[in-house]
Amino acid sequence: MAARSSRRRAETTPESPPGVEINGEQRDGAPSGEKGMSGADIQIAICGSAGDGTIAAGDILRNAVAEAGYKVISFDVYPPEIRGFGKCISRLRITTDQAYSLKERSDVLLSLDDSHTIPHVGEVRDFGAVICEAKPVGHLAEGEHLSAHILPGQIPYSLPIRELSEKATGGNRSRNIVALGYVAGLCDLPKAPFLRIIESKFKKQGPKVIANNAAGFGAGYEAGCQTFKLDDVHFAPPARALQPGAKVTILNGNHAVARGCLDARLTTFFGYPITPATTIMERLATELPRHGGRLLQTEDEISAIAAVIGAGYAGSRSATSTSGPGLALMGEMLGLGTIAEVPAVVFVSQRGGPSTGMPTKTEQSDLNAALYGSHGDSQRIVIAPTNVEGCYRCAGKAFEMAERYQTPVIVLLDLYLSNRYETVELSASGPPFELDANVHAKRLKPGEVYQRYVLTDDWVSPRAIPGDPGCMHVITGLEHNALGRPNDSEEMHELMSRKRHEKLQGALRHPDFTHVKRFGDAGKVEVGILAWGSTFGECLEAMIMARAEGIRCSAMKVVMLSPLPEAEIRAFLDDCGAVLVPELNYEGQFAQLVQGRLARPVTRLTRVPGGPMPVAAILAEIRRLAGRC
Amino acid sequence: MLMEKPVYVDEKLREVLSSGRLEYRSKALPTWCPGCGYFAIVEGVTAALNDMKIPMDQAVVLSGIGCSSRFPFFVNTYGFHTLHGRVLPVATGTKVANESLMVIAVGGDGDGFAIGGGHLSHAAKRNVDITYLLFDNGVYGLTKGQTSPLSAQGFKTTTSPYENPDQPLNPLMMMLSYGASWVGQAYAGRPDHLKEMIAQAIAHRGFSYLHILSPCVTFDKTNKTYVNLGMIVRDLPPNHDPTHRMVAMAQAEQADAPALGLFYQESRPTLGDNLNSLIAKAGGDASAKPDRRKGE
Repeated sequence: MAARSSRRRAETTPESPPGVEINGEQRDGAPSGEKGMSGADIQIAICGSAGDGTIAAGDILRNAVAEAGYKVISFDVYPPEIRGFGKCISRLRITTDQAYSLKERSDVLLSLDDSHTIPHVGEVRDFGAVICEAKPVGHLAEGEHLSAHILPGQIPYSLPIRELSEKATGGNRSRNIVALGYVAGLCDLPKAPFLRIIESKFKKQGPKVIANNAAGFGAGYEAGCQTFKLDDVHFAPPARALQPGAKVTILNGNHAVARGCLDARLTTFFGYPITPATTIMERLATELPRHGGRLLQTEDEISAIAAVIGAGYAGSRSATSTSGPGLALMGEMLGLGTIAEVPAVVFVSQRGGPSTGMPTKTEQSDLNAALYGSHGDSQRIVIAPTNVEGCYRCAGKAFEMAERYQTPVIVLLDLYLSNRYETVELSASGPPFELDANVHAKRLKPGEVYQRYVLTDDWVSPRAIPGDPGCMHVITGLEHNALGRPNDSEEMHELMSRKRHEKLQGALRHPDFTHVKRFGDAGKVEVGILAWGSTFGECLEAMIMARAEGIRCSAMKVVMLSPLPEAEIRAFLDDCGAVLVPELNYEGQFAQLVQGRLARPVTRLTRVPGGPMPVAAILAEIRRLAGRC
Repeated sequence: MLMEKPVYVDEKLREVLSSGRLEYRSKALPTWCPGCGYFAIVEGVTAALNDMKIPMDQAVVLSGIGCSSRFPFFVNTYGFHTLHGRVLPVATGTKVANESLMVIAVGGDGDGFAIGGGHLSHAAKRNVDITYLLFDNGVYGLTKGQTSPLSAQGFKTTTSPYENPDQPLNPLMMMLSYGASWVGQAYAGRPDHLKEMIAQAIAHRGFSYLHILSPCVTFDKTNKTYVNLGMIVRDLPPNHDPTHRMVAMAQAEQADAPALGLFYQESRPTLGDNLNSLIAKAGGDASAKPDRRKGE
């Protein structure tokens, strides 16, 4: 690794300082110098035009390296059109220890379409590899070939991709696979996992397609192995043994949500397609009937949440999924769920807004809509996972909470989390969710009348479900008394408003759930980062870099956004010299929430790039707040 | 359209008390105006449930918002008073969650055909096995007399003080073309026939739509009054063929002379049947209990 400098390693390795935790597991102390040096940390970007197979190549790569034992985090960017000539980029960061976010700069850039790739040459690091077509079809004007744009210090590899594809398969449809084979060969990655993934991916298309793609991959791989390497991009062995019985799988956030739903024994699902939430519904449309459950595509989002409320009333574990525009339509029905005290789970994957906005770009701008988007005092539970494994856990836990506290629960994701892939280690023991968290009504004694909204110590009223003998009652969106009868007296509205508020406070102590979690330095710190949702990964990366620079720094993720764990957040703020709140919306919705509730000053870092928050921007703010710039 | 024999209060009281149907009435007093046609519908529903021996705790009555939608409070079954216009999707969710429940959805003409109009076609084409009782008084009563999509053209209301410029929808034509598998019409002024129609609608397996004409004695003194409706309603012809959709549509088209009775009925798989066969196709177990309750 001649060109590698020690400075670069320090910048790019996700080393874990003491106390840093990942996926809820304490990572063992500081990795020894040896471990740190041996850890792989390579980011590969594949860029092409819609139809080139860019995303497909990325999919094969991430599955193959995961099978080879590496940890992966990857995120694809694609246009809202199916064909046309939109730009597709698949970025994968492949590491020995799970990384928290993508890196700013890639180590390898593979171009399947130079016109789209040229603007991205700058994201390749010094001494990084740029791979492009050596023999383009037809005549290219000056400046249209990628080689004219490669920066000093970047290392070009040109490959006759089309020619190799034609030679190996008799056509040029395997260009993406040939190029992928070249990357694998160049990086000394094992061939077998790729061939296994290719076989399973193309199984449906038949043996001929499998053979063609395998041949294409082989041709590229050979070429890669024979290329003189400058030893710049170096894959360390994957290492790291698993817990006995545990299984590594590669999931994106939406798939993790679907798996969480199934493991929590979801019985009904009602939904309406909307990017970027659709893949939750699609995955469940296949899987739920296999588990004896029922899924229905409704006529709109209003019907979807209405049916979820109707099913929840009948005792079913029911959910829907949507994005911001659908959430807006669901507002009125969520209010009904609140006042009638019906469990419901809504998965909301945010995208750029308002209105149709940027359907294939990420944003965290629906926090206010999730917290307050209804009418009246519509208290509810809102939780937001920060990584793919969190999506799984939050999905399952959402059903527990919806039942236990008899309320709608919103699980807030965003496109970046929904679509990004991470390797997830699933434990060998069964699903970690309670399968019936209801407080059921007891059988009535003769002459006793069932009171649906009876006041109790924890403000949760035992619930009878239609079909339960003798407990006939009516629930309603009108303000009501303990029996559920309409009652709009002053005292009753005060009392029932209080009931609906107080019962949710129990969720702040909901068992086996990470409400908030602090990472990095313990005790007093110069800068504290307070963040929520998918952006937390970038915050952790920035925090690690800041600590490497000698800044005392820690980061707290807030998973439970409503009710807000004020005590824990206040304790954290007490420890921080300055507080930074990075989030992907323009006006700082989470910062407003924290400031409004805790009356503490925080520094906002708001960006709306349509993509993840740049780690460099967070780091720059940390340095500024720590007085190091 | 007078009733066939005179009714004496004491006889009627004895009959009602001995029938057992009061068990299906809740302790809440209806909140409707004296003379409202909806009293007859409560009587019809409780009598039908009683006659059919449907257990109270296996029945769910859901409603939207409006005068009619206070209905669930007045019957002694499980009930859900939901949102304006949304009773059909909520009821669909309830039925999908537990096929064994007997589900009745009720609502008014504004609830069903204005704000909730988008759901009618989908509930009908899915053939979700519920009974939808639509109370049509042609006016928004609970908000004190505004125009509804079933109000007559020229009707003067608080929101159309000169006159209603729109022509009313033809609900029966709509439901027939949407594919409702049971379509009928009844009139609150003919309670015995109404009860009979409610029982038939409940007995039908699939989506049953019963349109119930009912006067609003407070906010409509000119159109759908007892006097006017009494003069124009008629029976379906004795030879009416309820298996023939086009024949039913020809009857439904005569909106000036509303016909009472069963317009159309067909037998086809319900939403529940179709979801079950889908589970079978996927290799799942459709009998998996929706109830996850720990042993009690």
